[in-house]
Amino acid sequence: MLDAALAADVLSAARHGGTGFADLYVERCTRRHMRTLNGALKEATTGLEFGAGLRVFFGQEVAYAYTNDVTAKGMCELASVLTGLKGQRGRVDAVGRGGLDFRKAAPYGLHSPEREFATFPLRYRLDRLREADAGAHVAPEICQVECILQEWDQSVLVANSEGHWAEDRRVRTRLFVIAIAQEGGEVQRGTESPGRSLGLELFDQFPPRTIGRQAGEQAMTNLRAGPAPAGTFPVVMGNGFGGVIFHEAVGHLLETTAVAKKASVLTDKLGEVVASPVVTYVDDGTMPHGWGSSEFDDEGAPTQRTVLIERGVLTNYMVDRYGALLTGHRPTGSGRRQDYTFAPASRMRNTFIAPGDTPVERLFEGIEFGLYAKKLRGGQVKPGSGEFNFGVREAYVIRHGRAAEPVRGAMLVGKGPETIKRIAAVAGDMWTEPGMCGSISGNLPVEVGQPHILVSELVVGGEAA
Amino acid sequence: MTVEEATRYVLRQARARGVAVEVLGERGRELTARVWRGRLDHATHAHQGGLGVRVVMNQRVGYAYSEELSPGVLDWMLQEAIDNAALQSEASGFLPEGGALGAHDLIGSALDGALGAKVHTALGLEATIREDRRTKEVPFAAYCEREREVHLASTHGRAGSYRRGVVGMVGSVVMEDASSHKQGYHADWATHLAEVDPGRTAVTLTERTGRLLGARRLKTGRYTACFEPKPFIGLLAFFWHLWDGKYVVEGKSRLRGRLGEAIATPLVTILDDPTMPKGLATRPFDAEGEPARPVTLVDAGFLRAYLTNSETARALRVVNTGHAARGYRDVLNIAPSNFCFQPGRGVRMHRGVLVTETMGWHAGTNPVTGEFSVQALGLWVENGEVAYPIENFAVAGDFLRLLEHITAVGPTLEWVMELGGGTTPTGTLWGRTAYGVPLIEVEELSFGGW
Repeated sequence: MLDAALAADVLSAARHGGTGFADLYVERCTRRHMRTLNGALKEATTGLEFGAGLRVFFGQEVAYAYTNDVTAKGMCELASVLTGLKGQRGRVDAVGRGGLDFRKAAPYGLHSPEREFATFPLRYRLDRLREADAGAHVAPEICQVECILQEWDQSVLVANSEGHWAEDRRVRTRLFVIAIAQEGGEVQRGTESPGRSLGLELFDQFPPRTIGRQAGEQAMTNLRAGPAPAGTFPVVMGNGFGGVIFHEAVGHLLETTAVAKKASVLTDKLGEVVASPVVTYVDDGTMPHGWGSSEFDDEGAPTQRTVLIERGVLTNYMVDRYGALLTGHRPTGSGRRQDYTFAPASRMRNTFIAPGDTPVERLFEGIEFGLYAKKLRGGQVKPGSGEFNFGVREAYVIRHGRAAEPVRGAMLVGKGPETIKRIAAVAGDMWTEPGMCGSISGNLPVEVGQPHILVSELVVGGEAA
Repeated sequence: MTVEEATRYVLRQARARGVAVEVLGERGRELTARVWRGRLDHATHAHQGGLGVRVVMNQRVGYAYSEELSPGVLDWMLQEAIDNAALQSEASGFLPEGGALGAHDLIGSALDGALGAKVHTALGLEATIREDRRTKEVPFAAYCEREREVHLASTHGRAGSYRRGVVGMVGSVVMEDASSHKQGYHADWATHLAEVDPGRTAVTLTERTGRLLGARRLKTGRYTACFEPKPFIGLLAFFWHLWDGKYVVEGKSRLRGRLGEAIATPLVTILDDPTMPKGLATRPFDAEGEPARPVTLVDAGFLRAYLTNSETARALRVVNTGHAARGYRDVLNIAPSNFCFQPGRGVRMHRGVLVTETMGWHAGTNPVTGEFSVQALGLWVENGEVAYPIENFAVAGDFLRLLEHITAVGPTLEWVMELGGGTTPTGTLWGRTAYGVPLIEVEELSFGGW
């Protein structure tokens, strides 16, 4: 994507400002987006995003600049802007051109697609969306089905003033099916959205007709559901996207983005018991074809599997280069960004609770009244206070130890440090699902996952009597 | 190539191929100076832009965009848009006719100033936040500046441009007392550098966050609710789609077919005014070149209009309100500009929950069904006075039913600018909409707590 000599020149120019470290990020990403409504194509778009970002460290101060002008002139202007921000003009001892002889690291192709996007005709995609549409029409009450296909093919290059050079390619595909069921004045929705670091072979792993059917059935379940109860109850959380509870309640609190500035309630807690002993919590950027996987992070460091909590004890934070500088913790390959318009920050990749040994049915035993949150949606957290929330896509009331009638519209809220100590039991049916996580370095693909778990007490926002 | 040169190139190529095309070019600039503990912690200075095309071929519509503006890539972009159009089965697309729209500079030198002085405002913001003895940490305090130029041209004669921008003070604080921690976030935006006031932003942030320290749990029940502007805007940023002509055409809005009906109490009047002087989202024309004008959506409780672009206006057989929205990376959509409630005579809640913050809108709101259930923080009001702060609860309801049960509206609007997702305002959706809302009292809502 970029000539090594030019990269070296830009990094060298950036260091003329007296900087201690500089890194350059270049990205070229092709995206395709297709949307059908009731089987008819509504929109199709293709795009090319191309830009570069240059970051420099002046001690513990960071300056970042980005541009779409990925030419020698544009890139040198970036360096000039950054050094100008500090108003400094230093001298750099250069060895050879730019003073850098890059050590190049290339990806092994661990998450590469089996077939390139370009080998599939456009019509193939539309036919798959129509299959999903057909699958979602499970009942006459399904009045509308929207299907969306997203394809990303992103190539990135990271080069830094320490002579490190890493190139990576991230190919991702995601299918969304949104089914709407209507009866009289009642309207409800069901959604499914599988996604992987794959090409269109995603459709082999997640047949569109099956995904459509699942969305349609969920819409019908919600149509028949009454309002969720409101109050504080025991909650059994489903596997897969149920892991959003840990993403919000704990995950964001363990990113050095918050920890380094003492803006997380889990700052300075390494080695302490922060969760129930049944909990082992992992952030793994290496999962083959995981939605949040990559071979290198956006600072050019190899991604890792990081055990954050082991049997309830906090063992690691997620650390990027800047976080390492501020905290002294070793980087964990967690520097991530949405695209070149963001400087990297420590972020989650694929986070999940490791499987336990409690049979799923045992989680329900002894609950007189509670909530079974079978399928979840996204949430939000404030790391400084630990207050978090997440929504529910499909839920059932638990009565006398069994899942009973469906309910809709629940929001689960709590405080992270309190809630994770209330994880009473963990089952063994681990599963992960994709989502998008928004934070200081943009919206990123992440997976969340867990087996079924029992939370002894959680606030449920629903319809109060 | 520059955006202007690339636009001319694409128009020439499209005409040569007999294809109708609308080209939307954007050029944006960002300056952010984030400080921490009395020094510049993180600075961002950037330029970004690109070109997006909407092609109409045999009444079929296709889209493509590029941030690389070389002839080879622009040819690829045009061909992609043509291929995408060829895939369409619906043949009802068109480009609006029109002429010159002029070149409008809405900010002039309003954002001009020395970099050092701008950094100093961020330092002032942080220092003032730290003056509050309850402040534990200031995760960030920032000076932000955003500027965008939009260039629109089509083979059907539309041609024009405008430049606009905003400046803002943005801060976050973690506060503590003997028993609790609370984190707050606040942003103030303006269209002129002289209008930002770091002291005011800091005091607003610390007052709004600090009053929640020592919060108690709320007992589950149904209470009178009074929303401060910011938490209500959190809901409105998702439920404005009820007036979205695209949602109406596609059958995703419960307001479909209800023009002329009473949908809210007579206290409710809702407007959208893209021409508002000093409005945070003011623009001279929309993404199709339709001149901006104000529109009343709800007049004393009666539904009067939907927001439309040319496609949805034609489908609904109404006059186009000129609310087409498209960043260069986007397809044609609809968006409000300066979207606001008309102020009322005031609120005097006797007993209930003053909702000061809502969270989790993207997971807890459903614009299609109108239902919401979101996390909230607030103050318990007893005998017309604030009694104590409350936390760890959710508020739930139906947005249209909420409009039918508004019992009082405050006299002063607070404006919040939509940033396009996340806390960092970048991307092509940046600053498209600003919401202005007063205090809003609702007869009764459901609260889930302990």
